[in-house]
Amino acid sequence: MIVPPPPIVALVGWLLPGLGYWLIGQRQRGLIIGATIILLFLLGLLIGGIRVVDPPDLTGPGSLIGRILQKPWFIGQFMTGPLGLVSAWVGVRMDLPASTARVWDIGTLYTAIAGMLNLLAIIDSTHRAGQAEGRS
Amino acid sequence: MNVALLLLGYTYRPFITPLPVWDWWFLLLLPLSAAVAVVYKAMKCKSMSQVPREAGIITVWILLAMVGAAVILWGFVRLMER
Repeated sequence: MIVPPPPIVALVGWLLPGLGYWLIGQRQRGLIIGATIILLFLLGLLIGGIRVVDPPDLTGPGSLIGRILQKPWFIGQFMTGPLGLVSAWVGVRMDLPASTARVWDIGTLYTAIAGMLNLLAIIDSTHRAGQAEGRS
Repeated sequence: MNVALLLLGYTYRPFITPLPVWDWWFLLLLPLSAAVAVVYKAMKCKSMSQVPREAGIITVWILLAMVGAAVILWGFVRLMER
């Protein structure tokens, strides 16, 4: 089986959770991990509303890093890939009100942890791709 | 509180409005712990048939650790309040 280069596996894993594993032939693993991450993210949106994905204002004053650090949870949410980005865009465009307090906390936690789990999956699938490439 | 909200005409719209779960929010830690356990074990286990059992065990450990941490922090806060 031809294994794609690790950077491609990493990119694909970010684009769709679990797809990196699929590309390197570990389809069952990819399916379980991908479905769980996506489900976790969607549950977060159901619990707290789509505005739990709260992107930083990149056009505001101050440094870019500073503006990103004002919304640290988005760093985790960003790791879910286009799913997180589209959610952020939809929430901002529709100008929906954000939930508050504990429900917001839990929704944010769900979505950010989904992203961090995807980061873990990307690292693991990339490492496996590198090992397979080294063997071939 | 949920009943009051319903009487006031609160309508849950999926993905738009928050789920009215503020009275039993702690139960939401269960699916979160399970998801973390499933993803972790799916990465670690050689065979996917091992994942359900292994993930179940680690889910219980995660929940016990959370409860333990909550108890310790509660005790610490009580101590600091004196």
